[in-house]
Amino acid sequence: MKTILLLEDLPEIRVWLRKLVLQVFPGAIISESARVQDAIELVKSVKFELALIDLGLPDGSGVDVVTQLRDSQPDAQSVVVTIHDDDEHLFPALQAGAFGYILKEQARELITEQLQRISQGEPPLSPSIARRVMAYFSAKAKPQASPNNAMPTVSLTERESEVLLRVAKGYTLPEIGVQLGLSRHTIADYVKQIYRKLNVSSRAEAALEAQRLGLFR
Amino acid sequence: MILTRPPLRLLHRLALGLGLALGLAAATPQATAQVLTIRSAQVTPATGDVLPPDAPAATVALPDNWSKSRPGYAGLLSYRIDFEPFTSLERGDLLALYIAHVCSNFEVFLNGHLVHGGGRMAEPVTHNCNHPQLVSLPSALIRQGINTLDLRVTGHRLAEVGSQQRDGGLSALVIGPQSELAMQHARRTALQVSAPQAVSATLMLMGGFMFVMGFVNRRESHLAYFGALSVGWALVDARLWLRSLPVSHSVAEFLLCSMLGFITWVAVQFLMRYAGSRERWVDVALPVQCALLPLSLVLAGPTRLHLLASFWYALLALQVLAAAAWHLRREWHRRSVWLMASMLLTVVVAGAIEFAAQWGGTRPLAAHLAELALPVVFVLVGLRLVQQQGRALHHAEQGKARLEQRVRDATAEIERNFRQLSELRVEQVTERERKRIAADLHDDLGAKLLTIVHTSDSERISTLAREALEEMRLSVRGLTGKPVRLADALGDWRAEVVSRLGQASIECEWQAPEDLPQRLSSRAYVQTTRILREATSNIIKHSQASQCAIRCTIGDGDLQFLLQDDGVGISAEVDRRLDQGHGLASMKNRAKQLQGQCLVESGPGQGTVIRLTVPLDRAAEGS
Repeated sequence: MKTILLLEDLPEIRVWLRKLVLQVFPGAIISESARVQDAIELVKSVKFELALIDLGLPDGSGVDVVTQLRDSQPDAQSVVVTIHDDDEHLFPALQAGAFGYILKEQARELITEQLQRISQGEPPLSPSIARRVMAYFSAKAKPQASPNNAMPTVSLTERESEVLLRVAKGYTLPEIGVQLGLSRHTIADYVKQIYRKLNVSSRAEAALEAQRLGLFR
Repeated sequence: MILTRPPLRLLHRLALGLGLALGLAAATPQATAQVLTIRSAQVTPATGDVLPPDAPAATVALPDNWSKSRPGYAGLLSYRIDFEPFTSLERGDLLALYIAHVCSNFEVFLNGHLVHGGGRMAEPVTHNCNHPQLVSLPSALIRQGINTLDLRVTGHRLAEVGSQQRDGGLSALVIGPQSELAMQHARRTALQVSAPQAVSATLMLMGGFMFVMGFVNRRESHLAYFGALSVGWALVDARLWLRSLPVSHSVAEFLLCSMLGFITWVAVQFLMRYAGSRERWVDVALPVQCALLPLSLVLAGPTRLHLLASFWYALLALQVLAAAAWHLRREWHRRSVWLMASMLLTVVVAGAIEFAAQWGGTRPLAAHLAELALPVVFVLVGLRLVQQQGRALHHAEQGKARLEQRVRDATAEIERNFRQLSELRVEQVTERERKRIAADLHDDLGAKLLTIVHTSDSERISTLAREALEEMRLSVRGLTGKPVRLADALGDWRAEVVSRLGQASIECEWQAPEDLPQRLSSRAYVQTTRILREATSNIIKHSQASQCAIRCTIGDGDLQFLLQDDGVGISAEVDRRLDQGHGLASMKNRAKQLQGQCLVESGPGQGTVIRLTVPLDRAAEGS
């Protein structure tokens, strides 16, 4: 049985999402929560395979739950379900370890499809998110960004960069597959890898930042 | 330096002209044959108003200096001259007696009749020592044959006067036609009286002015000292104006000598301060000396005045000389030092001549010229100082103007910065407010719309709410967004349009230039996104097309889109319906808002062509 965390503050939407999730994953065990604190408590006691997390909640941001989940249950898949489509809201969640995002207002069929894709390891990647990821890694590549190389440098491979660049230009993943002569699956793997590296790099950066703060304290 | 040249030349010319004029005035023409010069006289000591008896008399040579012919004598002396008048006087001309120097005062009797009085003969005696005298000899009193001329002269002994010049004495006498002698007298008066008077009046005015100038501005203290020097000198020369002082002879001499201490004080201070130096001991010593001098004169008494005065003169002259040398040494590096050097040299030469005249006991023309040269030099130095002051003032004004300009610039800069800062602040506040509104819209309106989207039973309401949500999101982005790179915008549009058409199984061919450097305002980005979204929706919903070509070009500063499908086209009936749903009409309207246009060409069975033009430069304005 799939265990799923559902964090959503609007009751109607929570009900609707629950129905939708059950449709995609019949028989799943769903733990519902309307607040960040409750969700974090749940994460401490229950083991989840999938978590659908809203970002704007009454008592904080869903990003905290994403972080908590990544730290305590690395195998769990966090998916951000939000009304915000801009990279300013989404990117921090992706850095924190979210594996894809779903825009709430989309039609049921579309969301269903996306959920399935994500659970199969094919997260979505919009051009603006791709640009944001590219900017993040190119800023890191500059020497002054990591002064003493204390942390293991995470960088994108040439192929990953190529895929990112094409996504940024507006090509769909199947199109990129055709252009690069690769299967849809391989392209999806690249995207997954990009998400993972973004998360790893962000974690290392956060750790280093914490260490630095500790040193100076 | 360029500035200094013309005034310097002017000074030159002035000095040259003045010297020339004085030289001319002083040049005494040789006496003509008609003039009788008398070089000896019968002299008797006289008392009271009574003319001396004819008998006991001694012959003296003229000029007669009492200090030599009768040392220690003071009081009255009577000189008698016999002469024969000229026979060849021109008609209407008078006979006159010219006396170049008589000291201190005199009376003239012709054949026993008083024909001239020079002022008071008793204390306080009128001082005529500096004034050449011309006495008319009335024709009525002149006899045929021998005429007798009596001169009663009152004078002082050398020991009681400060200068040889004021010791009792009588120069040679000249008798001749008045017209002839008047010229000689006038020249001599000009040199000894009028010119010094004019110069000392000038000195008085200029000195007073400069004293005030220097006194007001303490940093220019040399001006104050120079002003005092000028005024002091003018006061010494005031004896030319004031022949009959209401004080006794000894008091007048005492005052005159005391003045020289003061003059030395201010002269030395001027020379030092002008060279930009100040010594405390000099500041103290000079006034002390200035007080000591009159004290010593008082202690010595009037009978030893000349001796003491001569000593003081030498001492004071040495001090001034030392100060002058010191000044020149300090200022030697300056290019304009020659001016001050020549002035000081003139002073030194004039002083030397004066001293020589004092020792020699005679006053040649050179001595008179030297005496006049001193105040003239003072005037010239004064002019130079005024010129320097004027130049400094000019520089100060220029500096002030520059400073004012700088202040104006700085103020403008500050105002500009302030404006920028407040603009920035307004921007920040606006930005924050927009973000707050955006957050509110998302959290409140967005949540409600979302609830409608997913809970409504009506598909139409659900769709409308979804569209409203998308609209809201775009509006918020238009409200808060920053300018978007055109290349990024094209990426977003391509991703959306191609994936949507692909989901609807419509084959799409997208052509667009790459690496575009232009930027698009967020408003233009949002509106164009809406137009393209609407157009895509129309193709998906109504065209029944299987293929679609989208071409994007940049030309004439415009962003141009050409969307072409192979669908059924828009019938008049559908067109109306679309317009009712704000489809085509809203697309056109949005394009118009961006100063662009959206043209739809279609006909039944011909597919649809949409031409969208958005001006780039306009679109990039604002945020």
